[in-house]
Amino acid sequence: MDLDFTIVFEAWPFLLRGVWVTLQLISLVLLVSAPLAVLVALARNSRHGWIAGPIGVLSWAMRGVPPLLVLFLVYFVLPQFGLPIKPFPAAVAGMTLYMMFYFAETVRAGLASVDAGQFQAARALGLPPARTFVRVILPQALPSTIPPYVSHATEVVKNSALTASIAVAELTGNAYQLIISTNRAFEILIAIAIVYGTIDAVLLLLQAKAERKNLRRALR
Amino acid sequence: MTFDTALLAKHLPELLSGFRLTVLLAIAILAISTPAALLLALARESAVPALSWLSAAYVNTFRALPVLVVLYFTFYGLPQFGISLSSVAAAMLGISIASTAYLSEDMRAGLRGIDPGQYQAARALGLPYWRTIRRVILPQAIRIMIAPYITRAIIIVKATSIAGLVAVSELTGQAYGLISITYRAIEFLAVAAILYLALNAVLALLQSYAERRFARAGG
Repeated sequence: MDLDFTIVFEAWPFLLRGVWVTLQLISLVLLVSAPLAVLVALARNSRHGWIAGPIGVLSWAMRGVPPLLVLFLVYFVLPQFGLPIKPFPAAVAGMTLYMMFYFAETVRAGLASVDAGQFQAARALGLPPARTFVRVILPQALPSTIPPYVSHATEVVKNSALTASIAVAELTGNAYQLIISTNRAFEILIAIAIVYGTIDAVLLLLQAKAERKNLRRALR
Repeated sequence: MTFDTALLAKHLPELLSGFRLTVLLAIAILAISTPAALLLALARESAVPALSWLSAAYVNTFRALPVLVVLYFTFYGLPQFGISLSSVAAAMLGISIASTAYLSEDMRAGLRGIDPGQYQAARALGLPYWRTIRRVILPQAIRIMIAPYITRAIIIVKATSIAGLVAVSELTGQAYGLISITYRAIEFLAVAAILYLALNAVLALLQSYAERRFARAGG
């Protein structure tokens, strides 16, 4: 057994294209699922059973099935309904569908941590409910959601590898192509492991920075 | 667009055999990772710096990687070293390696939940290390560990689905195979989803049973 890492350098442009697709995928999923998660959290907290009930069941189901299955659901089932979908949008939709319910739970925990007196004070001041939520409640709820948000974000990074199975040419998918054509699995996998580790490390750094910023704001 | 029940009925046995393999895989992975994770958690909390460092390195490495990449290591990478595993064995090993890292963090939280006075008291009484762990610490820690353990077990059930990507015919793999043969998807994916949810529901029931039982034993 001899390791030969020259393959990694030769194939680097191809892997780099995969990194780029992975980064686009992750960013889109994180961007799209955050606001949806707030909506889901509000729906689950709703006083109306006909809203909270179905969304609660959907949330339980989505968090209970494998992410791979959710990707297949979007990619294979939509065409069956006459809605053909390309791999990349299917990947964004599938991963968003899977992750937003996890994010919603962290948002719910954040909302629960806001003192009830804040709602009452806002109402006493005559602030409309929507404005109360956006200007008073959300800014207080968000800081405590940062650490769980980031740990879910690292899940998004790792789950993005699954989209290779629906033909998205992201990092793991491209690595797979290389493995099949070169038989140099170990070298290629070490290379992409380093890339995933780096993306995770960057997220953790961003988390530390965001927490410090919030702390400063709170102390001011 | 219709839901083809006849087609589903015809292929249901394949899905059920996939489900059986999913259950077996999950049990095997739990059987491997549970003791490994406990050892890793104890190593991390131990006073020996090298052990603690090695354990941390293992945990942080495998928690940063997609499970699929670990699976590719065991399935495509090991043959380069002269170790060729069947797809089922590679899946079992790959998912166990990753799950052990996560599970050991869950267990460490449980160990941390025990008052340090308990360790000190056991040492003061001259109890050897393993006996302290087995007779004093674990019986108390298990109660704290039940909920995170079951949560992890559910994640492991979900993780077995990626075994389908290295040609293991577990539930998701079977569903995928049927999709590519029949060009129908909703029928098989719906049943697969229901089976996963049923399995998770069973695990949740197990959790409430275990919690009641250990609450009484500890009371």
